[in-house]
Amino acid sequence: MRLTKPTLFTNIPVTCEERDLPGNLFNQLMKDDPSTVNGAETLMLGEMLTLPQNFGNIFLGETFSSYISVHNDSNQIVKDILVKADLQTSSQRLNLSASSAAVTELKPDCCIDDVIHHEVKEIGTHILVCAVSYTTQMGEKMYFRKFFKFQVLKPLDVKTKFYNAEVSASYLTDEVFLEAQIQNITTSPMFMEKVSLEPSIMYNVAELNTVDTSGERASTFGSRTYLQPMDTRQYLYCLKPKQEFAEKAGVIKGVTVIGKLDIVWKTNLGERGRLQTSQLQRMAPGYGDVRLSLETIPDTVSLEEPFNITCKITNCSSERTMDLVLEMCNTSSIHWCGVSGRQLGKLHPSSSLHLALTLLSSVQGLQSVSGLRLTDTFLKRTYEYDDIAQVCVVSSEVKKIKEEVL
Amino acid sequence: MLRFLGEQAAVKRQVLNANSVEQSFVGLKQLISSKNWRAAVDLCGRLLTAHGQGYGKSGLPTNHTTDSLQLWFVRLALLVKLNLFQNAEMEFEPFGNLDQPDLYYEYHPQVYPGRKGSMVPFSMRILHAELPQYLGNPQESLDRLHSMKIICAKILENLEQGLAEDGSMTTIAQENRQASAQLWRARLGRVMYSMANCLLLMKDYVLAVEAYHSVIKYYPQQEPQLLSGIGRIFLQIGDIKTAEKYFQDVEKVMHKLDGLQSQIMVLMNRAFLHLGQNNFAEAHRFFTEILRIDSSNAVANNNAAVCLLYLGKLKDSLRQLEGMVQQDPQHYLHESVLFNLTTMYELESSRSMQKKQALLEAVALKEGDSFNTQCLKLG
Repeated sequence: MRLTKPTLFTNIPVTCEERDLPGNLFNQLMKDDPSTVNGAETLMLGEMLTLPQNFGNIFLGETFSSYISVHNDSNQIVKDILVKADLQTSSQRLNLSASSAAVTELKPDCCIDDVIHHEVKEIGTHILVCAVSYTTQMGEKMYFRKFFKFQVLKPLDVKTKFYNAEVSASYLTDEVFLEAQIQNITTSPMFMEKVSLEPSIMYNVAELNTVDTSGERASTFGSRTYLQPMDTRQYLYCLKPKQEFAEKAGVIKGVTVIGKLDIVWKTNLGERGRLQTSQLQRMAPGYGDVRLSLETIPDTVSLEEPFNITCKITNCSSERTMDLVLEMCNTSSIHWCGVSGRQLGKLHPSSSLHLALTLLSSVQGLQSVSGLRLTDTFLKRTYEYDDIAQVCVVSSEVKKIKEEVL
Repeated sequence: MLRFLGEQAAVKRQVLNANSVEQSFVGLKQLISSKNWRAAVDLCGRLLTAHGQGYGKSGLPTNHTTDSLQLWFVRLALLVKLNLFQNAEMEFEPFGNLDQPDLYYEYHPQVYPGRKGSMVPFSMRILHAELPQYLGNPQESLDRLHSMKIICAKILENLEQGLAEDGSMTTIAQENRQASAQLWRARLGRVMYSMANCLLLMKDYVLAVEAYHSVIKYYPQQEPQLLSGIGRIFLQIGDIKTAEKYFQDVEKVMHKLDGLQSQIMVLMNRAFLHLGQNNFAEAHRFFTEILRIDSSNAVANNNAAVCLLYLGKLKDSLRQLEGMVQQDPQHYLHESVLFNLTTMYELESSRSMQKKQALLEAVALKEGDSFNTQCLKLG
């Protein structure tokens, strides 16, 4: 018999008032019912424990517990009983019996009991194989096996997404944001006891799932501490490369290991489950030979009024000095002010230069700053920079009102 | 029973039926208290026929009286108690939303000269509101309960403003007003209770907990039980920490209970907390502790036995449950206890049928016709 946690008995309250025909008869019946709560009989959730009714579902990361009872139904004493419980998964066979020693004798109507536990680490079909061997009074050796088959299902659906911090002082200390969506795909509510990101050695992590309200860390999920079936929660983490790795630019190029998520949940009466994701990997953004990053940009600008941005251009190549020409191409909304095709001069490896540019937008709304082109005249190679940043364009009156309010 | 134990045993069974009691309210009460609810349902039917209602009369002009409505209430309540929800729903149907004109005193001026208002018992409205949730439509239940809540609150408001219940200017004596206000407060509390239960059934735990908190306002004397109940809700979700917090709160309001009861509650909650922490040995210790101060505590007895099973002590567990059932069958032949017992019989041996039939025999001797034999899993 599988031992999932017992459940609490619920009763159906039927009450009446003194003046009604049955008088206090219904209320008395409820008082006499041992499954109601003494003094609060109308409370549906009682205190009486009932054993699990059926095998139920078992999920990856939960602990499979089972009661194994070998009962002598015959009227003979049997000897040298050996009970073995093995769990067969698709990849391995595990022995779960607590002891492998044989019991010398078992009298009629007596039993050998064992409770086994196993944390389920594989999905799919599992077969519990109980093998019993014993010797009868006649000295005959007997052996039988019983099979109990069950499926292990997936409890959670985890989706992850990485975001690179948009503006940062230097590309070497880039922060990475990890968004993890965790969905309960079981059929019962799930209390999330712990969801944490264990970073790889290169990163420090800050969890962004609590809000500081008057000195107390309150969960962003509010008072709802559990996930209903099919509910999804979104967790956010901020990862910063550790100083020693941040200095070595090469390390964080290409594919890096970010860390893994460790999830602990609980269900009915504290039935516990735990899962760890595999190592989450991220493709570090490649910046090519020349990187253009933004140093300053206003968030809101007025329609058809020029505004300034500051760019930083870095020569990321290892040994090549570049001679750069800047071109500015207008898009349907963004218009650059100034001369296109201007020489920026020589730029040595690992050095950078700052560039102030002026532009204006002819369209309202959230506009994307695009259209910068850098050409390396030595190699005749052009680098394109589109969607560098976004800026909110409003009519000048709105902007005035907004400023007054502020 | 005839199927499993044979005719001889069946003849031995003596239960009251609708014929063997006085054909009156007295007989009806006798059937109810002896747990022969099926017979009681029959008797209600007969008594209603005597009132010119009931079988085959649906759709005809009715002649309700307070008595006939009380009979209907009892009959419907018993159907619900017997888990015959579909039947109850069908029989509720002719009453509509319980606000048809013929359900008012004013409709029968010859019988009730000068009386005003609805003849429908409040408990019948509760029953009517609660019913859909058992038939898989909790939203309808919530809707009905909400409109009841609004009416109760309005009546209370009227009373507080010095008006009569229905908002008219009729003057009421001060003590009547107080009694009425008390009654309607209790009723409002009862509606909140139903709402909380319904939300719990819907597994909307956040709202259910909120609703139980508001029930405390109406029934402050039940605060310890309700806080414990909320604690158990959190245990059910798996939120052990919050459960623990509630159980600690319970200990702060213990003065509302008498000594023994409060001791039991504290121990019970501690036992449940250990269950939540997967510590069946400690939970068993606390349940046993309760039995030391109250040896007839059915819940503690049953729960201690359940813990024993999880500790690998099937035989001990069976002994405890069997002991309970034999000692005081009046009390312990409860569905949940018997269900546990039969589950363990099935685990113990492939020849569990015999033992189950023995239980059926014991039940047949003691219980009325309302016993739900499903818990014996006779198959």
